[in-house]
Parts: sequence; structure tokens; C-alpha cells
Amino acid sequence: MNIVPFALYGAALVAYVWHFAQRNATVGRSATTLLVAAALAHTFAIGMETTKIGQVPVADPTSAISTFVWLLALSYLYVEMTTDERAMGVFILPLLVALQTIPALRPNVDEPAAVLHGPLFGLHVSSLLFAYASFALAGVIGLTYVLLFKEIKAKHLGFFYARLPSLEVLDRMNQRAIVIGWIFLTLGIVAGGVYAVQAQALPAEAGDPRVQNMTVLDPKIFVAFICWAVYSFELFAARRIGWGGRRTAYLSAVGFAIVLLNFVPVSYFLTKSHNF
Amino acid sequence: MHLLLVGISHRTAPIDLRERVDFQTRGVGQALRGVAGLGSTREAVIVSTCNRAEIYAAADDVQRAEADLIGFIGTFGNVNHADIAPHVYKVADLDAARHLFRVAAGLDSLVVGEPQILGQVKEAHTVAAEAQTAGPVLNRLFHSSFVAGKRVRTETGLGSGAVSVSYAAVALAKKIFGNLQGRRVIVIGAGEMGKLTALHMKSQGVSHVTIVSRTMAHAARTAEAIGGATAAPWNELDAALVASDIVITATGAAAPILTKARVEAVMRQRRSRPLFIIDIALPRDVEAAAGEIEQVFLYNIDDLQATVRENLARRSNEVARAEAIVSEEVEKFGGWLRSRGAIPTVVALRQRFEAIRRAELERLDFKMSALAPEARARVDEITRLIIEKLLLTPTEQLKAIGDAERIGAYSEALTRLFALAEEAEGRNQAAASSTADDAPPRSNVEPFPRSKNR
Repeated sequence: MNIVPFALYGAALVAYVWHFAQRNATVGRSATTLLVAAALAHTFAIGMETTKIGQVPVADPTSAISTFVWLLALSYLYVEMTTDERAMGVFILPLLVALQTIPALRPNVDEPAAVLHGPLFGLHVSSLLFAYASFALAGVIGLTYVLLFKEIKAKHLGFFYARLPSLEVLDRMNQRAIVIGWIFLTLGIVAGGVYAVQAQALPAEAGDPRVQNMTVLDPKIFVAFICWAVYSFELFAARRIGWGGRRTAYLSAVGFAIVLLNFVPVSYFLTKSHNF
Repeated sequence: MHLLLVGISHRTAPIDLRERVDFQTRGVGQALRGVAGLGSTREAVIVSTCNRAEIYAAADDVQRAEADLIGFIGTFGNVNHADIAPHVYKVADLDAARHLFRVAAGLDSLVVGEPQILGQVKEAHTVAAEAQTAGPVLNRLFHSSFVAGKRVRTETGLGSGAVSVSYAAVALAKKIFGNLQGRRVIVIGAGEMGKLTALHMKSQGVSHVTIVSRTMAHAARTAEAIGGATAAPWNELDAALVASDIVITATGAAAPILTKARVEAVMRQRRSRPLFIIDIALPRDVEAAAGEIEQVFLYNIDDLQATVRENLARRSNEVARAEAIVSEEVEKFGGWLRSRGAIPTVVALRQRFEAIRRAELERLDFKMSALAPEARARVDEITRLIIEKLLLTPTEQLKAIGDAERIGAYSEALTRLFALAEEAEGRNQAAASSTADDAPPRSNVEPFPRSKNR
């Protein structure tokens, strides 16, 4: 089921790279069309999985990654269509393709554990996935900012200078993505905290060792708090101590690296509370 | 019919000769009427810019048209034939098309890739269309040239990158700040150079220009000359720097005015908002080390000139890709032009069918005399439609052949099968016996049906 979106994301990646190198308008339109097709196929796949298990497939890490990829693709398409800037696609698509290989290789969705239900759980997961998608965009925008910044600073106006939007636009897009991501990260963490307290209070669910491990010391939860601290500092630095431009861009990239770390290796190998 | 180009350009003629053959000064429309009056061309378009004067024409007799057009250029510019002839280039058919496509793409311009030329080519066609000297061949030629020009602009980097220092500065500012509207510029120095740069920035939409000079009176005078600018005294320089986004320094000072420490202090107050400093003074007004400060983008005149050189080099790297696009478009146009080779055959074929139809209707006129006028009109309509339908597919097939040799073979076959040569002979005799005014103008001949629904 997840192979078709994966193949379409792959095709879109090739088209975005081609467009970035050649700047051919037709190739650019084809790239967007392929990405829209991939997102639609992905929507269908997620819809089918939702029908199968009775809720949006986000409970296990593989499903969560698939849904994250889908959200990121939609967020990116939104940014591309509202800003008319296609240059960022070449940086987003490799991420989409790389992450989508995991659900494509492990296509079966398991029934979610009994403990994973309720509006708080839904709010927790959906908010965090959306926050991570925003941070992914911010990280990529930050990366492009640094590349362009270096070219202008070095007085060597070349490849990126000709292809990327202005520093001001990149900085503004980055800030906006961070603000949105931070709001959803906070919401997701709060919802997760309340959910954990409630689950631990219920005798039926408190026996689950994973529920018992839902504390700040669990690697997944601990790293989520580090993320929150990094992005909170970034917002504070941008507003209060005049950090902008390259420093914020670097912080966005570092923040997203931590998000990715938490999202893939920590989820699969380290956490004792989120290994569903 | 052949395509023909006769002209002079910056590549072949010195400026004084180009000035004399400047069609624009005396009106291109009038010149076009002059060309039409020669009688040797069927269609004409004149492309006239400060770098070129070119007459594109469609003509049956290329030699005669060529001689006439060279003569026309000489007469128009009041130049002896011997003086102008060595500077004139004459190109025919697809080479003429290639030349125009290269011109429209900016490949033949003085500054390769400059964007104005495409607009000038479009204007040239509009003027000819208004003067009714552009016909089907030149219309198609010029529209194809617009396509070639647009493709080169969007698909290659031929037109990218500023190729003058002032445009390079503006382009850089736009790459840092997005757009310049609402931005504030400060010019340090009240000299001519600073004034010109400020005027250029103002024309790009910056909201406010402040002139700072050691002599307040000079600053005030320059600010007044710019219009809408304000002057500030020297001791308010730091405050003005804090409020500005773009700094242009152009003083005659012997030592740097903006040291690294001074710029650092300004940046602290600016809370690290980006500052773009353009140092066009010689010796330099800004310490080179100031460019190391985070969020300070410092460019001096050499840096800007270097980016211009890089852009020019990059443009020349794009030439091959642009030429490939031009070749593709020439090929497409060539296909269309060759398909026109079938026109006489198609016209003859249609006339042959029409003649048979009319002859048959006349022969049966007696038998149909009993029919009501509406019924007779219907018979006429039905027979006409049958012929249309019968001819539609062969016409389209013939039109689709892009190879001149195959068109020739098909035309030959059709001519023999339907005895079209006799038809043409008959027509020629008829034409000879009638006056020239009776003959229908050629532009009215429509050999290809417009749609299948007819």
C-alpha cells in the first residue's frame, strides 16, 4: 500500500532535482504534479489503513512516520503554492523519500494497543506530528538560508543565489514555521502529559510497563523536552536578543536533527514508554 | 515564396552608418510602406533598434527583392550603394529565421541575454501588422521568434545576473531584503557618484533616502536634487545608520569612515537586522574587516565589478543551451514553411474538384429545374460538403509532411492523378484574358480548411 506513494515521491524527487538544476518551467510543473499525485496516493493509503484499524494509523512508529511524511508533503505543498517558490522542494523531497522507505518496507499496520485511544491521545500524536512537520520545513529553510548567506557573504554569487528566494523571505518563512511548530509541540507535550497521568491512574492500564515508563526520564520524552527547550530558546533569542538570520537558521537545523533522532532511532530502539 | 533578411547591425556597421539608417526616427510605418511600394516583396517587417536595422521580407524572387531592399536602405539613409553594401548582411529562408530567433533570444545583442530586445521584436511585428505589411509567413515567423525568445529566457540562465555595477548592487539588495519597498537608504557623501546611486535606488522603490555629509549645506543641496530625500548632519551619522538598511558610501575621505568597531556598535543597536553596505569610494570608506560582522554584507566597487564579470561569464556558458533551443524552434518553423510547399497543389486540387462539381450541377441543371429553389440550394450545399469532406484528410496529410522532397513527390503524384497541370494551364489562360484587378488576391486563397466541422 505504501509502495505507490514511495515510488511517486521518488519520481517527484528526480523531477525536483532536475528542475533545480535546469530551471525548466515544464519540469517544475511536472515535479509539483508528481508530488500532488504522491500526496493523493498517500492520502488514499492512510485512509485505507484508517478504515482497517478504526483510527488514523499513528500508534506505532512506522505508521507515525508514514503520517508524518504525509503531513510534511502537504505542508510543503502549501508553502510552495502560497509562495510560488519551488526551490525548497529539492531539499524536502530527499527527506520524504528517505523516511517513506520505512513504511514502504514494513507495510503492515498492526491493531493499536488497547491503551492508545481517546481524544487526548489523538491530540497528543497529531499535534506532535504536525509540529515535527513544521520543524522539518524550518530546518530545510534554515539550511537553504545558510547556503545563500554563505554565497553572499563570500561574494561568490553562484548556484544558490540564482535559485533561492531572498534571505529576508527565507528568514520569515523559517520564523513562521518555528512559531507554528512550537505551539503544536507545546500542545502535544501537554496533552501527552495529561494523558499519561490519566492512564497511570486507571488500574486496567497502569499495569502496562510502557505506561509505567511514561516519565520525563524516558529517552523519548526526555528528548522531546530538549526539543522544546531548543525551540523555546530560538523564539526567545529571535525576539529578545536580536538573534536572526544565520544563527536562527543553524538552530532550526540543529532542532530538526534532534527531532529526527527522537523520531526514528529513539522510537525504535531506546524508548520504553513509546514502543507500541 | 522565400524568406529574406537584409540589414545592418552593431556587428557589421559603425555607429554613424547605423544612425543614418535608423528607421525609428522617421517612423517604421512609413519605411514599411516604402518597402511595400518596391513591389518585389509580399510581406515585410522592420526591426529597428539602436543596434540594428533589419528588414524581414517574404518574396518570390529573392535576388530582385534583395537588390531592392539594399537599394531601399541606401536611399532611406541617404548613403551611396558602395558605402553601405559591404556592411549589409543578406540571409535567406531558414537562416533568416535562425537570425531572427537569435535576435529575439538576446543572443545577437551587444550584451548577450539583455531582456529589452524581445519587446522590441514584438513591437516591430505590431507596427508591421498595423501597417498591414505582415502576412501569414512573417506572422508565423515572428510568433515563432517570440516563443524562442521566451523559452531561452525561462529555460536558460542567459538573461540572469546583473551585467552592470548599479544593477548588481540593486539585485544584491533584493536578494538580501526581498524587495526594496519600505527600505531606508543612507548615502554618505554629497558628491555626484553618491547622488546617482541614490537616484537609482529610489527608482527601485526604496521608501526613504538620507544624505549625510560633513558639510550640511552640501547634503541639503544633494537631498533637494534627489527629491524626497532628507539631509542629516555628520554628527547624526550613527543614528542614521541604525535606522537604515542599505548604506552607500561615496566620500573622498582618505581614511575609512566606517571602522569595524563603529559598525559593530551600530549593529548592536540594530539588534542584528541585516545591513548592506555598498562602498563605491576610492580609497575605500569602510574597513574591510567590517564585512566580517554577522549580518553585515559589505561590497566594494571591485566586488560588484567581479560579480558583473562572473555573470557575463555565466551567460556565455548558457549560450550553447540557448542555441539548442533556437535550433529546435527553427526546425519547427522549417516544418511549417515546408508544409506551405504543398499549397499550390492543394489549391489546384480544390479548384479541380470545385470545377467538376460546378460542371455536374450545370449539366444536371435541366433535370433539377423542377425542384424548389430551397431544394436546389440544398443540393448545392450537399455537394459542396461532400467535396469538403473528401478533401479534408488528404489536405491534412499533405500539411503534416515536413519533408520538402516528399511534398514534391506527393504533389507530383496528385498533379498527375488529377491532371492538375491542365487545370493550372486553363486557369493561367483565363487569368491572362482577365484584367489584373479581377484576379483574387493571393492572401484570400485558403488552401487548408480551418476545422473538421466545416
